[in-house]
Amino acid sequence: MFRRPIKEISAEFQAEERHLDGIQRVVRDACGSAGMARKDISAVLLAIEEGATNIIRHAYLYEPGILRVRIVIYKKLITFSLIDRGRSFRPEGHGQLNLERLVESGRRGGLGFYMIQKIMDSVEYISSEGQNELRMSRHLGERGKGGAAPLLRRMFTLRFKFSLWTAIIVSIIIGGAFYFINDRTEDEIYSHLDGTAGALGMTIAEQAGLYMLNHRSDVEFDELVLSYSNSNPMLVQIVLVDSAGLTVAHSDDIHFIRKLYSPPPTIDSTLVGVPQRWLHNQSQVNYLILPILAGERRLGTVHLTYSSALINEKLVSAREGILKLTILLVAVGVIGIYLLSNYFVKPIVNITRRVRRFTSGDLDSELPLEGADEFYEISHALNQMMTRLRRERETAVERERMAKEIEVASQIQKTLLPGKLPRFPGLEVEAFYRAASMIGGDLYDVFPINGHRCGMVVADVSGKGVPASLVMSMLRTVIQIFSRDAVSARTTLQSVNEYLSLNMPPGMFITVLMAIYDSRRRVVNFVSAGHNPLLLYTAATRKVSKINPAGMPLGMPDMSADDVARPMTLEEVHVPLQDGDVFIAYTDGITEAHDRNGEQYGLDRLIEFVESHVNGSEALNLTRLSHDLVTEIDTFVGATGQRDDMTFVIGRATPRNDESAPEGAPDRSAVDTTTVPTEESDPDSAS
Amino acid sequence: MGPMENIRISLSESGHDRDISEIRVDGVIDTMTATELEEVFDTLLRRNRYRIVVDLAGVDYISSAGWGIFISHIKDVRSSQGDIKLSGMVADVHEIFELLEFDRILKVYASVDEAIGDFGPGPGSQGEKKKDRDTAPDRR
Repeated sequence: MFRRPIKEISAEFQAEERHLDGIQRVVRDACGSAGMARKDISAVLLAIEEGATNIIRHAYLYEPGILRVRIVIYKKLITFSLIDRGRSFRPEGHGQLNLERLVESGRRGGLGFYMIQKIMDSVEYISSEGQNELRMSRHLGERGKGGAAPLLRRMFTLRFKFSLWTAIIVSIIIGGAFYFINDRTEDEIYSHLDGTAGALGMTIAEQAGLYMLNHRSDVEFDELVLSYSNSNPMLVQIVLVDSAGLTVAHSDDIHFIRKLYSPPPTIDSTLVGVPQRWLHNQSQVNYLILPILAGERRLGTVHLTYSSALINEKLVSAREGILKLTILLVAVGVIGIYLLSNYFVKPIVNITRRVRRFTSGDLDSELPLEGADEFYEISHALNQMMTRLRRERETAVERERMAKEIEVASQIQKTLLPGKLPRFPGLEVEAFYRAASMIGGDLYDVFPINGHRCGMVVADVSGKGVPASLVMSMLRTVIQIFSRDAVSARTTLQSVNEYLSLNMPPGMFITVLMAIYDSRRRVVNFVSAGHNPLLLYTAATRKVSKINPAGMPLGMPDMSADDVARPMTLEEVHVPLQDGDVFIAYTDGITEAHDRNGEQYGLDRLIEFVESHVNGSEALNLTRLSHDLVTEIDTFVGATGQRDDMTFVIGRATPRNDESAPEGAPDRSAVDTTTVPTEESDPDSAS
Repeated sequence: MGPMENIRISLSESGHDRDISEIRVDGVIDTMTATELEEVFDTLLRRNRYRIVVDLAGVDYISSAGWGIFISHIKDVRSSQGDIKLSGMVADVHEIFELLEFDRILKVYASVDEAIGDFGPGPGSQGEKKKDRDTAPDRR
């Protein structure tokens, strides 16, 4: 729609209020070079300041950021773009804002946008790929109200141009036709004239031949020519010449009789029967020589001079008629074209006007569909585009809202994970958690139960997203509460399951690995509700063993269950710890991390990692170990990226500083496995 | 150009009962300096002083933040039988004032005295309700 830009100005600023001055200076200079009036410049500066302030305050929330100013000057338009990479905030109050309503509400955000809209001819907010652009444009020179007048003006010129060019083409065609017809008419008229003169001449020659054969008197000859010249106004002169070249009769003067006849100088007397033109008394006359014959014998010649004056008059009037008709035709043509152009341009004006409204954010009004021509096609296509845009905008808003909610949920979830891990005598713990998406379904927790016992949990909720995270947060609370009174990890999870089965959505289940460490007895007891096996590195043997106590995931329907609720079956494992022993609990995000070819990291690699990295030395740094493990898995996964939440908790038995002879320190000769199968033998399950 | 040097605001009391607050502003009311004017308005409104004349004769530029102060307070001020009257606008500022159609909301006067005169007799020191015809919210 617009021509090539005359000038482009770009500048970058730190998004801080103290740089507003600088931004305004750039804009002022650009407006000045575009030849904008002073009062218009201050209005533009106001709009720019409002736009820039909004970016600093609302897009960047006063955080550091870059504000890019881009000004493009066209011949009749100047556009200002303020570009940021902050939060996308759609200016308040889309479409036209009502001043009275703004005053009524006392809202300032809307007022700012109102001012921008008042000052600029068009305002757009484009947000894509993390970049937001507030694009404002203003017409240069005489300002049209709301951009409608320049639009109409453009349309008028379009129509004018169309009319002008078609009028020129029509004039050339009609003019050419006129010239052609005129030329033809002239030729026709002359040939008609010559034909008449020829016929007359023949008659005269015939009569004169008869007279000559009968040797009529001079007077009779004279009467003959006079009678013809008088009865035919086109005949100027008739001369009869005998075979000797002497004048027999002369319509002008009898004194030429018997004298030698000489034709006018430009006339070729040998050209018999061919009309010739010559100038006589400044007017063109025609000359025709015809033979007077008696059979084969030539008795003399008739010299006819005939005027084209009469015919000229006719010609002129004919020409005038044609010219008038031509002018009339051209005029009718031009007017018709102009009216017709109205008819053709009008849909364009209508469509353009609607499109303008579309661009200013009004996606709701549809273009009327009329007729079945190309405009119908355009309107239809535009309507479809608008519908799609509208849907896109709605989903974008929805997506933005969802993203915000997810962000909030993810932040809440993070606060649910233990911030700083508690310390226990003789046990060092390190944990890692990384969600694959914003909201994970994994959980770990390390919490004190009482002075000498602490609980550790690694869990994985089936499913992902908000529902999983909600269940997760419930799980964490419930475990902490139930572990307080429980005698073991087993009874804790049994109570937790009982609670969850009443409060968890059907179809969802949780695998949990729970450990309770007793610092006095230096024993950890583990239960697993369908969770991945625990890895235990025994310092004495430098080997890793898998500990996988039997148990169903929490929330799984118990097949054997009848009406009577009974505690779930869980196997419990007691592991006495020695200095340097390391155990690691993890979720399937670790072992099932896979590379590009779909190969999983797997338990064997994890065991190998632990064996090679934990060498039982005192110098082992758990933080370092955790970091190395994450790096190893990330390297293994490579560009494929993390697909599932990754969680693990590493515990290590360390020498107790308060080595106050633990009473009943268990014999660490072997892993003591106690299986407690059913409720019958379980004193805790009264339910 | 530090922001603080760009504006000077002085406050005085006029009118019969000294119930009209006259704010004289000099300089530029932009995003940064507008907060100072805002504070003055807040102070006045906190003290229930709703009859306000703003002398803009010394102001070369008013940013959106500046206009925002007037526009956002006018409703409350008028509902308390007061008004915000602007006086002595320079040509450039007045152009924008008209462009933004704020003349539909706010009244402007050539001079401070004219603005004060237009307030009419005040509500008096004892009663606030006596006179409200002249000061009733002026909405067209």
